[in-house]
Amino acid sequence: MKQVININFHGQVVPIEVSAFDLLKNYTAALSNHFNNEEGKDEIINDIESRIGELFQERLKKGATCITDDDVNAIIKSMGRPEDFEIDNEKATTAEKNNSQQQNNTNSHANPKRMYRNENDKVIGGVCSGVANYFGIDPVMVRVLFVLVALFFGTGILAYLILWIAVPSTASNIIGGTRKKLFRDPDDKIIAGIGGGLGNYFGINPWIPRALFLLPFLSFVFRFRNLGFIDFPDFINFSFSPGSLIVYIIIWLVIPEASNTAEKLEMKGEKVDMNSIKNSVMEEMKGVQKKAEKFGEEAASFAAEKSQQMSAEFKGVVKRNGLTLGDIIGKLLKIFSYFIIGVVCFSLVVSLFAIAIVSIGIFPYKDYVFTDGWQNAFAWGTLLFFIAIPVIGVITFIIRRLAKMKSNRKVLRATFISLWVIGWVCFICMIALVSRDFKSSNNLFEQEVALQNPGVSKLFITNRTNSTKFLRNQWLRFEPFAGIDDDSVNVNNIDVKIMKSTTDSFKVTLVKMVRGSNRRWADTLANKIEFNVYQQDSILVADKGISINKKDKFRNQKVLIIVYVPVGKQIKIDRGIGNGFNINLGDSWDNDRYNIDVEEESSWEHNVDYIMKADGLYTLNGVKATESNNDRHSRVKIGPNGIEVREGNKRVIIDDDGVDVDDNYRYDTQQPTDKIDSLKIKLDTEKARVKDSLQKEKEKLDKQLEKFSTNKTTTNNHSSSKMLFINPVAVYL
Amino acid sequence: MNIDNTASQMRKGVLEFCILSVIKQGEVYPSDIIEKMKTANLNIFEGTLYPLLTRLKNAEFLTYRWIESNSGPPRKYFSLTEKGGLFYKELEATWNELANAVKALSDAEQQFSSNTPDDTSLQQP
Repeated sequence: MKQVININFHGQVVPIEVSAFDLLKNYTAALSNHFNNEEGKDEIINDIESRIGELFQERLKKGATCITDDDVNAIIKSMGRPEDFEIDNEKATTAEKNNSQQQNNTNSHANPKRMYRNENDKVIGGVCSGVANYFGIDPVMVRVLFVLVALFFGTGILAYLILWIAVPSTASNIIGGTRKKLFRDPDDKIIAGIGGGLGNYFGINPWIPRALFLLPFLSFVFRFRNLGFIDFPDFINFSFSPGSLIVYIIIWLVIPEASNTAEKLEMKGEKVDMNSIKNSVMEEMKGVQKKAEKFGEEAASFAAEKSQQMSAEFKGVVKRNGLTLGDIIGKLLKIFSYFIIGVVCFSLVVSLFAIAIVSIGIFPYKDYVFTDGWQNAFAWGTLLFFIAIPVIGVITFIIRRLAKMKSNRKVLRATFISLWVIGWVCFICMIALVSRDFKSSNNLFEQEVALQNPGVSKLFITNRTNSTKFLRNQWLRFEPFAGIDDDSVNVNNIDVKIMKSTTDSFKVTLVKMVRGSNRRWADTLANKIEFNVYQQDSILVADKGISINKKDKFRNQKVLIIVYVPVGKQIKIDRGIGNGFNINLGDSWDNDRYNIDVEEESSWEHNVDYIMKADGLYTLNGVKATESNNDRHSRVKIGPNGIEVREGNKRVIIDDDGVDVDDNYRYDTQQPTDKIDSLKIKLDTEKARVKDSLQKEKEKLDKQLEKFSTNKTTTNNHSSSKMLFINPVAVYL
Repeated sequence: MNIDNTASQMRKGVLEFCILSVIKQGEVYPSDIIEKMKTANLNIFEGTLYPLLTRLKNAEFLTYRWIESNSGPPRKYFSLTEKGGLFYKELEATWNELANAVKALSDAEQQFSSNTPDDTSLQQP
């Protein structure tokens, strides 16, 4: 409630609030004080006052019942305060003197080239012409480039928005230009006035931000896939859809509403001159300084506290310089612990965001897992309250912290926590409901695949057919799901086991595994798994994945291909098949132990040729498949005989005899035995005739070698003689 | 050097010239001058304008007459005097010289120098 008085202002009757009148009086007094030395002072004051009177009349005509504080402040702002008038030379020079100390700090201002958005030559936000100006090129070129990038990659839009926000406008550089603050606009609102506020801030129609917020929601409904020849990027489908809702909510929470006239003026752009910019910058600098000081003080007190504790503990140990050392250690510990805490918090936030992004990405697949009704509802609840709420909460917290907003703190916290509790409930219910559908497994049995020609000497297992489908490259791909069609997904849950065949021909069997709410349903689902394997000469082609549709749902379907390899025959498995990227919900099959009798199979690697021998699978080099993994790659071997380290052709052995360094290990016994072993395998598989002839050659060579070594005993070069021994054999083979 | 101060000195020097070039186009009312300068991207406070007008009037470059307005008190409409016209011509010549010199110098130094806001806005009137 304010008292209103009527004043006679330049011959006009003006109803004005008492407090506003005081403001006005102060202002005119300041003016007359300022123009004291000016010639024609009265006339100037008179002119200004009559202009103010005119502005008052304008307000009253628009329907205001009286002149308020806000009105007077707005008028004063547009007229300028005496300290804003830059007519007085003396003042400017004194100001310069005052500022001379700060000049060193503000020297970066003098940076000749800075990027600005060009307000004088703009289409949307002046970003393109600003960039063009900066690099000295034609703005049209930059615009065309941006449009092209936006059309083809979609990221151009994002880049434009970021530049729009990040790059200051030239208006901020012009003295007396407009500086705006972001407010929600209560006068022009549909939900919360965010569209209106953003429109005001960027000087665009409020429907542009509204459309930007709405567009992703529409894209939920219409899938922008192929609009004729225009290929709309999936980008918008995926990462923007729920994102815009989150962004909207965050903006709502963070940006204050323009509640009074001054704020509304600020929202639409306030007049600012160099002085006020300087003032606000200086204020901000002061704020930073204060913050830094405060932080320093806190840190110091914390350090002092901690270091006292520390020094108390350390005094007994280090008496001479206990205090200072304790100090230092305390500080170091403090810094270190802060660092650790910071890293942990940061990684927590990052992983939270990662989980959110991944779950949003996976969400379209939910229909393949959840049945309609409660499961679906809980899935939505989990996404919104369990995953999205913490993300929104963290972002809101950070922004509010940065902006130092303190209003509604408790309400917000309570809201977030209670929503999150709801999220937990949804999550737990969802898990409980879904796990019921995964309760029992089906009856497992081996299903033999008819092979055209089981007698081949070598089998290559692949899932690449000749008619390769070209998959569209997507913006976001989820590796475990091999391909998405409209009504089914492929799951790559395929394992390959290699077993020894009891006969002399290849045999391939399939084991289908699936989960269900009961055994009978699991058996039904197992029957529905369509997985084809067929033989083309020596190639065994398997399906790329198990197709799962929305009706039968994903219930940990998995196919195990068991390949029985006869002794003496080879097998190789292509990279794309059975790569171990199995998707399982809940218990994996390994915990379930298939009840078929599968003896411990040999481990194998992709794209490596193996041969089946009587006692298991071997590589062509003669290394046992189970050992090959560890043996081939490791440089350090630790065994009962000692430690062996290899690097290039150097070898160090540490054993009972001490440390033995061998610089020329390549020609040592290790490699030759390997080679001979591999030769033996080949000889086994080849004919005995070759073996015999080799034996003869070997004997000959031995004789030669004996001669050779007796001749060369003086220059006894151990390694070269070994080399001579081995090379001829290799040549013969 | 203080950039703020230099810039304000620069502006101050050309402000009178700008005001005169607006008034030269015909009889105007002070807030019209502000509006015109704003559209040319040169924003000044009204409080800066009035003393300048008074000074120019006292130097007999400007004259004014009262015109009744339907909103509020009668308004002062300013126009150039003969002396003011001459003064404006001189200023204009000086400005053109100066602008050409600055342009030539800055162009020679860097070919793609970004236009400072002052240049673009002041060349327009």
